[in-house]
Amino acid sequence: MNAEYQMKNYLDDLRLHLGPMTLNEREEIVKEISAHIRDAAETGTNMETILDRLGSAGELAAQYRDGLLIRTASRSVSPLKLMRAALRLATKGVFGVFVFFVGIVGYAMGGGMAISGMLKPIFPAHTGMWIQDGRLVAFGTQFPSIGPPAHEVLGMWYIPLMLTAGSLTLLLTTFLIRTSLQISQKWQLRLQRNGGMA
Amino acid sequence: MAKMRQQIVEADSDRWEAQLRKGALEMAALASLWNGRLYGLEIIRFLETHSRLVLAEGTIYPILNRLKTEGLLTSEWVEAEAGHPRKYYSLTEAGRLRLREMARAWVSFSSGLSRLLEPLLETEEISK
Repeated sequence: MNAEYQMKNYLDDLRLHLGPMTLNEREEIVKEISAHIRDAAETGTNMETILDRLGSAGELAAQYRDGLLIRTASRSVSPLKLMRAALRLATKGVFGVFVFFVGIVGYAMGGGMAISGMLKPIFPAHTGMWIQDGRLVAFGTQFPSIGPPAHEVLGMWYIPLMLTAGSLTLLLTTFLIRTSLQISQKWQLRLQRNGGMA
Repeated sequence: MAKMRQQIVEADSDRWEAQLRKGALEMAALASLWNGRLYGLEIIRFLETHSRLVLAEGTIYPILNRLKTEGLLTSEWVEAEAGHPRKYYSLTEAGRLRLREMARAWVSFSSGLSRLLEPLLETEEISK
């Protein structure tokens, strides 16, 4: 296999493994690694040795990707990005598992409350907060509807209350995950520094 | 049994040494740029020559990338006679400050540890 072909294969493979990054970041990395390979080849090192010293394209890409997801997500408000980062964090330890769990519960509760608020005008008799003898018996959107002696107490106030509570829960969840991701980054940096000093 | 124990000790110390090198690499990469800008392969060669740090070459580029994201390095592409551009890295002011802090902490820590460890090595030589 000729050297140029081996290099092209390696760089294509690297590009593929760097998939989750932006196009600019990916091409910048590929350009730099390509320059490294050409520089090393000019010193007379053969292509197998150069690529061997770089490590496999998958391993190299993983080193670039590591931390990137968490770093970008900690500045994002997208639930999808935040939950992907929380899932990555969950693979690293108990703290991550806890953050992921808080994310799932928070987004499910917030989303559920907001959706329930929006369902009130569509299913007014099925959506609300029912009370019987001073005790809460049901909450949300219920099929079949709750009948007497329990009675619904919020009426159309249910809509703004649920939309507000849902939005606040979603915001709070986003804030908690972002803060946890930032804390985890600080821990990691501290660990790396301490590791460097040890 | 003794052979197995020896293998475990060697594997553990290899892993420990690998972690030690990885942690120190960030500081070493910053230090290589103290006197001016260098591109990737030059940094690798500089570290090999000046610190006997032999690297799996792929490890340095993600580290440089991270240090740049942290604002400790800047980079620029320069057209070279070689016919392809090279990405040169330089220390930022924050990078210089951080490196000084790291160097100070490293030197004081390692000299303290050396005082602790040197007697162990002397004992070993005497027992030989």
